[in-house]
Amino acid sequence: MDRRGEASHRGQSSYRGRGWRGRGRGGGRPSPSPPSSTASPAALNPTPTPAVPVDDAAPIMGTCPDMCPARERVQRERLRDLAVLERVGGDPTRTSPSLAVKKFCRTISSTNVLPSDIRPLPVLQETMDYLLHLLDSSEHPFETIHDFIFDRTRSIRQDLSMQNMVNDQAVQIYEDVVTFHIRSHQRLSTSCQDSDASSLCYLNMEQLTKCLLSLYDMYHVLHKRDSHSKKEAEYYSFYVLLHLGCKIHKMIDSLSLWYGQLASPVRRSKEMIFARTLLRCYRLGNFKRFFCMVAAEATDLQLRLVEPFLNEVRARALMYFNHSGYKLQHHPLEHLSGILMIEESELESLCGICGLEISKSEGMKAFVPKQTSFTLPTFMPQSNGIYISREVER
Amino acid sequence: MAAYLSMGEAHRRIGDYLSRVTNAISYSDGAALASLLSVSSAPASTPLSDALAAFPDFPRLAGDRFPHLADFLVPLLRAIHSHSIQRFADAYSSFEKASNAFLQEFRNWETPWAMEAMHTVALEIRLIAEKADRELATNGKNPDKLQAAGSFLMKVFGTLAVKGPKRIGALYVSCQLFKIYFRLGTVNLCRSVIRSIETARNFDFEDFPVKDKVTYMYYTGRLEVFNENFLVADQKLTYALMHCNPQSQSNLRRILKFLIPVKLSIGVLPKRTLLERYNLLEYADVVTALKRGDLRLLRQALDKHEDQFLKSGVYLVLEKLELKVYQRLVKKIHIIQRQKEPAKAHQIKLDVVVRALKWLEIDMDVDEVECIMACLIYKNLIKGYFAHKSKVLVLSKQDPFPKLNGKPV
Repeated sequence: MDRRGEASHRGQSSYRGRGWRGRGRGGGRPSPSPPSSTASPAALNPTPTPAVPVDDAAPIMGTCPDMCPARERVQRERLRDLAVLERVGGDPTRTSPSLAVKKFCRTISSTNVLPSDIRPLPVLQETMDYLLHLLDSSEHPFETIHDFIFDRTRSIRQDLSMQNMVNDQAVQIYEDVVTFHIRSHQRLSTSCQDSDASSLCYLNMEQLTKCLLSLYDMYHVLHKRDSHSKKEAEYYSFYVLLHLGCKIHKMIDSLSLWYGQLASPVRRSKEMIFARTLLRCYRLGNFKRFFCMVAAEATDLQLRLVEPFLNEVRARALMYFNHSGYKLQHHPLEHLSGILMIEESELESLCGICGLEISKSEGMKAFVPKQTSFTLPTFMPQSNGIYISREVER
Repeated sequence: MAAYLSMGEAHRRIGDYLSRVTNAISYSDGAALASLLSVSSAPASTPLSDALAAFPDFPRLAGDRFPHLADFLVPLLRAIHSHSIQRFADAYSSFEKASNAFLQEFRNWETPWAMEAMHTVALEIRLIAEKADRELATNGKNPDKLQAAGSFLMKVFGTLAVKGPKRIGALYVSCQLFKIYFRLGTVNLCRSVIRSIETARNFDFEDFPVKDKVTYMYYTGRLEVFNENFLVADQKLTYALMHCNPQSQSNLRRILKFLIPVKLSIGVLPKRTLLERYNLLEYADVVTALKRGDLRLLRQALDKHEDQFLKSGVYLVLEKLELKVYQRLVKKIHIIQRQKEPAKAHQIKLDVVVRALKWLEIDMDVDEVECIMACLIYKNLIKGYFAHKSKVLVLSKQDPFPKLNGKPV
């Protein structure tokens, strides 16, 4: 599912059969059947069948009752390997079942995994809820919390894939993980602007993309069983919206191809039509409509997803206006700030980053078109999202 | 029918088939061998399939008579039998075994005499896999045979796409692979095949057979459409069109289905007669919209055929034509103004554009029109500038609506 990172230790390297089969085989743990799209009922409710030789056994079934297996807890206490959020009273050698969460292990060897190391679905759900609740805490810096959840959600995904779970609950957990990455995506891009944050942003985006693609594969499996997630349309729309940030190169399929594979109800959903229209406005340069739509129609998560891209869109708008305007007529910032839904002072600094000089005309700040010093910035200032001034609101 | 067939007769027919296969191999008769391997096109009942039904012990017969070819002949007979009784998943499994054995033999033959037979195997394994997958899906099982056929064909491709006389057959196999990948929606797997075909220095692409080149260009052209590389897509699809058998209406139509949107995006409009002749009238309104500057018609056409355009992957290409429709609209306004008041024809009030759009029942305000004009000028669809304060678009006196000259929007 996580096509690159975790493929080696999961039975199902891909549900729809992208890529060649047998990727999972090399990892030591034999896949129950060829990576199956239907994930035969046996894979869903794995019931151990003693008659079958070990190699063809059903996927492992976790029995770990806590967020972190007892044996890992003891070991990490001993090694002083406890995250800040896991320590009892700040003590780096003490944790508890209600604080410790199983770490993501990159090189897990499937041969010596015990059922007691793997968490069953209800525990995974609880763990996910616990992690999401941490997101709202203000006790620690956001980067610390992000780092913790980032790692621990990967281990949740790992547990899911080792147990070959594809069902409504697993989908829900994946949706939660995506939610976490989208919220982080927005928070990280506003909270700090140094290079550390930009690498965090990059890693976060990478996991977001991976999770989304895995989630779509799971949706696909559920469709075959006539089951649908309520949030499906919204989560599908994220793929389209990510094209705004020019994250296309990280995507596997081109959008044209991707649209063709979508089920019509999803394609015609409100959320998807929003995303498609938004992308169209962006490509046609209709920035006015673009920002009006974002302000009026985006869901909370859609807004969080596109917010960090908004300044890129604005810079593009400035590029068009600067190129196409009349040299002898000033373009007041007030007008642009209304169209681009950005506070005038913020717009001014964006203009500065783009190399545009601002002058005063009739007491108003304005820029003169056709400035040759304009360049599209490679690094965008933080975006404060959508700004609607009083005047526009009225 | 099978019931009336004596054991002796059944035995004789099977023996006859087996000797024809082995004779074709010993005489290196590729065409004869190829015709004996067409499993999927056979009618439900043939003299051979009746004999196989009447003589269940056929595997032993084949094994005893031709032990050195048993790995190939036994599963081949099984595949023919399973296929005739419409057990396609079984037929596939047997045929894959036979195919693997055949590939082994093929690798050891120094000359490419058996290329035609190898190609038949490549075609058959895909066709049988498709039937098998339909059967599996109907029975609620995992349809994974086409994917398996893809894995097998990749092995065949690996055998052929090396330096030497067998390479000439590689393009046919890559086309079979493309068909599978497009069907399964795993087109990113085409990449390694393309790389292997296009980077070879020791084999000129032009030396491949024409029909394979046409198919290859058709599929790779479509891939370029997906990636919005319209210039390359144009080259590839045009190549396919020019070299395609002019008698093959359906193939010409398939090529045009993708070539037309590509041509539209670089500013070349087809005649209506072409759309009619190849039954591609879904593009008719799009073309009219481009000619008239009728934004409403473009949107209606996209809406009406949305499913079809999205499925084939040309939707985004057509959606982008909106900019050209705006260009056309501005040009029309310009022409009308020139008739009325030539001195001021090159100044177009943004408000006039707003009203023209309103007349088309497209609701856009002055700010939106200004944004669109900025974009049209930036993309060199209009030469000129807009004056923000006076809300006027000022067209260049020379060539205000530059031709695309093959450049995509």
